[in-house]
Amino acid sequence: MLDYLVRRLLVMIPTLIAVSVITFIIIQLPPGDYLSTLIAEMESQGENVDVAKIAALREQYGLDRPLWQQYLVWAVGMLRGDFGYSFEYQLPVADVVGDRIMLTIVLNFGTILFIYLVSFPIAIYSATHQYSWGDYGLTLVGFIGLATPNFLLALILLYFTNLWFGTSIGGLMDPSYIDQPWTWGKILSVLEHLWVPVVVIGTSGTAAMIRRLRANLLDELQKQYVVTARAKGLPPMRALLKYPLRMSLNPFIADIGNMLPQVVSGSAVVAMVLSLPTTGPMLITALQSQDMYLAGSFLMFLAVLTVFGMLLSDLALAWLDPRIRLGAGTGR
Amino acid sequence: MTARSGAVPAALTARSLIALTLGAAALVGLAAAPAGAEGRRYVEPPTLVQDVAGLRLPPVAARLPRQPQVVDLAADGKEPGQYGGSLSMIMGRDKDTRQMVVYGYARLVGYRPGDFELVPDIAAAVEVEEDRVFTFRLREGHRWSDGEPFTTEDFRYFWEDVANNPALSPTGPPSELVVDGVPATVEILSPTVVRYSWPQPNPEFLPSLAGARPLYLYRPAHYLRQFHGDHADPAALEKRVSEGRQRNWSALHNRVDSMYQFDNPRLPTLQPWMAVTEPPSDRFVYRRNPYYHRVDPEGHQLPYIDEVVFLVAAPGLIPTKTGAGESALQARYLSFDDYTFLRQSETRSGYETYLWRTAYGAHLALYPNLNAEDPVWRALMRDARFRRALSMAIDRHEINEVIYYGLALDGNDTLLPKSPLYRDGLRERWAAYDPEAANALLDAIGLTERDSRGIRLLPDGRPAEIVVETAGESSEQTDVLELIHDRWMAVGIKLYSRPTQRTVFRNRVFAGKTLMSIWSGIENGLATADTSPQAFAPTDQNQYMWPKWGQHHQTGGAAGEAPDLPEARRLMELYRVWRAVDSRPERIAVWDEMLAIWADQTFTIGLVAGVLQPVVVDLDLHNVPVQGVYAWEPGAHFGIYRPDTFFFGPTRPRTPDSLLTAAVRNRS
Repeated sequence: MLDYLVRRLLVMIPTLIAVSVITFIIIQLPPGDYLSTLIAEMESQGENVDVAKIAALREQYGLDRPLWQQYLVWAVGMLRGDFGYSFEYQLPVADVVGDRIMLTIVLNFGTILFIYLVSFPIAIYSATHQYSWGDYGLTLVGFIGLATPNFLLALILLYFTNLWFGTSIGGLMDPSYIDQPWTWGKILSVLEHLWVPVVVIGTSGTAAMIRRLRANLLDELQKQYVVTARAKGLPPMRALLKYPLRMSLNPFIADIGNMLPQVVSGSAVVAMVLSLPTTGPMLITALQSQDMYLAGSFLMFLAVLTVFGMLLSDLALAWLDPRIRLGAGTGR
Repeated sequence: MTARSGAVPAALTARSLIALTLGAAALVGLAAAPAGAEGRRYVEPPTLVQDVAGLRLPPVAARLPRQPQVVDLAADGKEPGQYGGSLSMIMGRDKDTRQMVVYGYARLVGYRPGDFELVPDIAAAVEVEEDRVFTFRLREGHRWSDGEPFTTEDFRYFWEDVANNPALSPTGPPSELVVDGVPATVEILSPTVVRYSWPQPNPEFLPSLAGARPLYLYRPAHYLRQFHGDHADPAALEKRVSEGRQRNWSALHNRVDSMYQFDNPRLPTLQPWMAVTEPPSDRFVYRRNPYYHRVDPEGHQLPYIDEVVFLVAAPGLIPTKTGAGESALQARYLSFDDYTFLRQSETRSGYETYLWRTAYGAHLALYPNLNAEDPVWRALMRDARFRRALSMAIDRHEINEVIYYGLALDGNDTLLPKSPLYRDGLRERWAAYDPEAANALLDAIGLTERDSRGIRLLPDGRPAEIVVETAGESSEQTDVLELIHDRWMAVGIKLYSRPTQRTVFRNRVFAGKTLMSIWSGIENGLATADTSPQAFAPTDQNQYMWPKWGQHHQTGGAAGEAPDLPEARRLMELYRVWRAVDSRPERIAVWDEMLAIWADQTFTIGLVAGVLQPVVVDLDLHNVPVQGVYAWEPGAHFGIYRPDTFFFGPTRPRTPDSLLTAAVRNRS
C-alpha cells in the first residue's frame, strides 16, 4: 500500500508539469495579450491611448519576452509559493483571490449537501417503487430541474425573493456586510442569500444524482444476495440499507476527485449571473481579459485539486471496498 | 463640545495648546458660524465636528483655500442642500472605482452644463494668450486631502520628475503637451502661478484638462517623492519596491500614482470624495474630502453627501438591482431597453427614472473599411457612390420604429441638431430611404450582373456579400443588422453579420480583414467651434472606416498608410488649419467645410442617434437635473452636473410624466 502511494505521488509530478505547460499555452492562444484588451476597453470609452506608452507598459509587464521565458518566470515562481501578479488588479494573485475561496467552499458544500439530502430519499423511493406513479412523478420533477436553464431560474428566484422577502439582489450577503468582520448578522445574511444559488445549482445536480443512484440501486436489488436476504426474512428496510445501498454508493466516492475542482471553479455561470463573490466569475473575467497569471494560477490550482482528489478517492475506495483492495493485490 | 475641549489631558505640548485655542475659538464660532479669511462665514460639516474638536482636523475656515470656489446654486436651478447621507451606486467591476474621478469632476478647468464653456474650478483663474500661452493661478491655501498645501511645486514635480523622467515616462511628456514635436515650456512664476507655453497654438490643451479622463498637470509631490528614485532614500525605496512586488522603482511609482484609476487610498486627492477601500473588494467606500475647495452660497463646504458607496455586481444584474432600489443614482450599465422595467418598479422602490439625451453623433453606424485588404472590395468601398447607395438603401425609419419604439432620431452620423455648428440637411444627406436611387447608383458603378439569388456580382464575378462584423456585445446590433439585411437584399447586396470578441474585432478592422463594421458613431455630437474636429479627419486608428490612415497620423508616418483620397486629405488639411487659427469665425468656417465634405462623402453610414439614457434617481436625492445630457466627453456623465451639490433631503414629489419624457418630444 505504501509502495502504491509513493508511486502515485511520483506520477503526479510529470502530470502537473504537463498540465502547467498546456494551461499556459492555451491561455496564450487567443490573439493579443492583456494590454490589447486594456487598450480596446479604454478606447471604447473614448479615452486616448498613447501607442508608445503601451510599448513601455508591455516591457514593464514582461509581455515582450518570448513565451518560454514568461512560462519559466511563472512556473518557478509557483514553486516558491508566488502565484504571479494580476495585471487587471495590479496586485499579487494571492491577494486578489482572498476570501473568495472560503465563500466558494461554503456555497459548494451547501450545494452538495442539498443534492444529497434531496436526491437520496427520492432515488431510494424510485428504485424500490420502480415504474410506479411515484417513480414517474418524481422523475418528472427531476427532469424539469435538469431542463430549466440555471440562469433563468436564478433570475426568477432573485426577483421574487426581493419582491417578497426584501432580500438584496445578487451577491452572498447584504451590501452593508461586505468587507466587515464576521458577526452573527453577517452569517444570517449569508444564509439568507445562500439558498437561492444552492437551489439553482442544486436542481440540475439533483436530477443527475437521482438517476444514477436509482440505476445503481436497481442493479443491486436484483442480485441474488438480496433475494436470499429477503427469503431469509430480513426486515425490508435492513435488507435495503445494509448492503445494496452501500454498494450503489461506490460511484459517488469515485466522484470525489471530480467534485473537489468543482468546489472551486464550479457553478461559474450561475455565480456570474447571480454576481456571487466566488472564484468562478473571477476566473472567467481573468480569461476574458487575458490576465494570464491570475487565470493560469487558478487553472493550476484546479489541476492540483483534481489530481489530489483522484488520489483521495482511489484511496477511499480501496479502504471502503474490500473487493477493490483484494483485486489490486492479486493483480500485482 | 466645549466641555470636551476642557477635558484635554494636561500633558499637551505648548504647540498643541496653541492649536487647541484655535480649535476652541472655531468651535465657539461654529454656533455663530465662523468667519473666513474673506469675511465669509463657513459651516463645519457635522461629521467632521468631532475630528475638529479632537484636534485631528483644523476648523473649516483653515481647511478651505483663502478664496474657495463659491458655487452659484441658483444659477444652475439647484436648491441649497443639507449635509449627510450615503449615496450608493452600482458598478460592474472593481476597475470602475475610477468612475469616482469622473463623477467627482474636480478639474483645473471644467465644462459648464448647458453651453459647455470652460470655466476655472481648481484653478482660481486661467489666462490664455493666442491659444499659446496658458497661465494658471491657483487658490492660495488650497490643500490636498491629507492637509498638505497644493502649490505649483506639484506642477513642477509632474513636469520635471514624472513627465520628463526617462524611467517614468520613456516616451516623454503626454502628447497633449507636445505641439508639432515641441514640448511645452513650463515656468513656475510663484507658489500659485504656473505658465505653459508653446510657439504654436495648442487649442486642445484646455479641453484635455476638463476631460472625463483628464490630463493631470500636477501630482501630490510630497507623497510621491518617497517612491521616486531621484528623491527617496535608496534603502527605504528598495524595501518598498520588494514589498510592493514591483520590478523597479518606476513600476512602483506608476502603481501608486493612480490619480485617475483612483485605487490607492493613500494617494492624496483634490476630488470631493476620497477613496477609503483598498481593492479588491465588492464594495468601495469614498469619504468626503475635508479640504475640498468648493462651498455653497451659504458657506457650507461641499460635498453635501458624506459618503459615496460603489457596489460591484454583475453588469447583467444591475438593471434588476436598480429596479429593487439598491442604487440611489444610476445610469451606467442601464440602457434604453431597461426603461419599461425601471418605470414599472418605480413605486415599489421609491425612485424616478429620468431620460437624458446622449451626445453620440449616431448611436450606431456602419463603417465601410476604406483600407480593406481585398482590392476589389477596397475599390468599391472607396467609391462614394457605393457608400451613398448603401446608405440610401437602409430604411432608418423602420429601424427606429422596430428597435427604439420610434423614439430615436434617424439620419447620418454627424453633429446633432442642438450643436451650434449644425446646418440644415447634414443629417439627411444621402440618408433618405430610396431603393430606386440606390439601385440606379449601383448600376452606374457597373455592378449590373446578378446571380440566381438576385445578388449583384462584383467585377471579378464574386457575389456582393458583405460581412459586417460586430464586437458581439449586444443583440441590439445584430437585430439592427437583420433589418438592414432585408433592405439591402432588395438592391442586390447580401449582408452577413459576424459577432466576434472585442479585441479580435478591433485587430481585424486595423489589419483590413474586415469589410465593414458596426459601432457607435461620432463621440461628441454637440461640438462647438472650439471643439477639436479631430474625429472628422483621419487621425486615429479607431476610426474604423480608415484605420490605416489614422495609424499613419498617430505614429507620425511610421506605420499605416497615408490617406490617398482627395476628400480625406482635404479633411486632414482642414483639421491642421483648425489647430493653427485662433479666431472663432475662422474655426466655424473650417468646421462648416469639414461637415459638408463628411456628409457628402458618407464615410460612415449613420443609422439612428439620440437614443435616450435612463437615469434612475432616488426620490430623496435632490439637485439632479430632470433633463440632462449623458455624455462621456464633454460631460463626464454626471460630472458636469456636480454630484458634490447633490444631497439627501425630504422626499420629493414625483415629477410629472410630461417633464420626465420631455426629452423624447424635443429631441430635434
